[in-house]
Amino acid sequence: MMRAISIEFFKFRHRHIYLMATLFLLIEVIFLFMGMSRSISMKPENANWEALIVMFASMNGLLFPILIAVSVSRICDMEHKGNTWKLLLTLSIKPGQVYAAKYIYACILILWVCIVQVLSIAAFGIVKDFEDPLPTFLLIRYFFGIVFTSLAIVALQQWVSLMKKNQVIALTLGMIGGFIGMTADLMPSGVSRIFIWSYYSGLSPVSLSYESEELDFIVRNLNALLPLMLIVIIAAISIYLAGSMHLSRKEV
Amino acid sequence: MNQVVSTHNLSKQYNGKYCVRDLNLSVAKGEIFGFLGPNGAGKSTTLKMILGLTRPTKGFVTVFEKGFEENRGFILSQTGSLIESPSYYGHLTGLENMRVVQKLREVPDKNVMQALRIVRLEKQKDKKVSQYSLGMKQRLGIAMALMSFPKVLILDEPTNGLDPAGIGEIRELIKSLPQLHGMTVLLSSHLLSEIEQIATSVGIINEGEMLFQGSMSELKSKSQPTIKIKTRNNKLAQELLRINGFSSIQSGESLVFEDLLDDEVIKVNQSLVTSNIDVLRIEEHKKSLENIFLDLTGKEQSL
Repeated sequence: MMRAISIEFFKFRHRHIYLMATLFLLIEVIFLFMGMSRSISMKPENANWEALIVMFASMNGLLFPILIAVSVSRICDMEHKGNTWKLLLTLSIKPGQVYAAKYIYACILILWVCIVQVLSIAAFGIVKDFEDPLPTFLLIRYFFGIVFTSLAIVALQQWVSLMKKNQVIALTLGMIGGFIGMTADLMPSGVSRIFIWSYYSGLSPVSLSYESEELDFIVRNLNALLPLMLIVIIAAISIYLAGSMHLSRKEV
Repeated sequence: MNQVVSTHNLSKQYNGKYCVRDLNLSVAKGEIFGFLGPNGAGKSTTLKMILGLTRPTKGFVTVFEKGFEENRGFILSQTGSLIESPSYYGHLTGLENMRVVQKLREVPDKNVMQALRIVRLEKQKDKKVSQYSLGMKQRLGIAMALMSFPKVLILDEPTNGLDPAGIGEIRELIKSLPQLHGMTVLLSSHLLSEIEQIATSVGIINEGEMLFQGSMSELKSKSQPTIKIKTRNNKLAQELLRINGFSSIQSGESLVFEDLLDDEVIKVNQSLVTSNIDVLRIEEHKKSLENIFLDLTGKEQSL
């Protein structure tokens, strides 16, 4: 299995996929930091960690599905382009192994993006001299929220990208996901929880309350989020297994 | 028996239509087996089933007298293949493509270089494959198949896209493989001339069914020459010659004799002349392999 993963890394030479994903993330980071800086300059008490996390969580709902769709599509499309799926299968590697190697490769990429994002948030707060100390536990919860949701979305995108040669389908799905992810908070929670993309904001440890005149940031109870985390993990596993079995049965 | 590859009533159905039907193919050790058939006859489907890329609807495949399903890993590790169009990663160089296969095959560096040298790609190995010509991609595919110097080599239309010089080179290469490396080669082609020059055994398939299987010399023996004789009175001539022990059949305006030796032709001619039957023409007709193939496949259109 390690061999299959190392081959995935080898195949991505000259592809700059890490650079692409990092630049994509930096655009989000710069955009949000600029907005946050302006808000702080207008109202210094806005300089708090909760606001920063809420902004990132809702922006992730839009950008992560698209970033994942593009990255996974690039990872899978190279097998379609050169008809290499059948080559790999005749080299006595099993389809399930190739599927797993690709999934792990994609997850490592997304994990990298998540780490960079969380470190950027921490760095911004420290540079801007936020009053509260670095909320390590909150950031860890935030980190796992985006990681788990991403694992499920990667599984879904990989299934579509490998099954359908035409990558427009996978990319369109990513864009629809981004739209749902962005608007998830506006839907009734019973409806939004059906969509896997809504979990970026759904698993955010901080939420916005619109009840009073002022915007309130509420730190969610960890216990309240655990069932949602469980749902997203089960979804990731089921989608992965379904995709892997479907592809293993497919004839070349 | 030493059968390296054999199929047993192998059948494949797509949308209710048989693409391959009850195919019993057998390739012995050290042979170059030419799998011949017109486009769409089921050659690629058969080869894909042999490699486990497609599951048979019915029947099974054995390689080294072992069932494919239970011994997939072992069989594939001993098999090199090139199926349909060549497979490659366009953004990687030729050498990097070879490295991908090398990592999966776990073979030493010298095999990579040797395979590249054999297909004459060593000078272009650092060029991206997307910039290769079709012929170069095909050579790269052959190099990938050869890399582990497998016991069985399965090549689907290996000379596709190559120029005449390249075809000649690959032909010589394939011919040398059984002797140099002890390989058994199974290759398909829709070009009879191609198979004729390489293969030691041949299987002819049409519309999913095997029409002929045997050695190349067996196929060639079907091309025995016939003698056609045209006279002013064919009916009388036929009767006269039948009495003299030469049976013939009337075909058009001529009498056709099979298996006539030169001396017999002289005798036939003499007896006709002495009986005052005017002989207009004596012609020898050799049935070309092409015609045998067309007769077998019943196809007159382009192959």
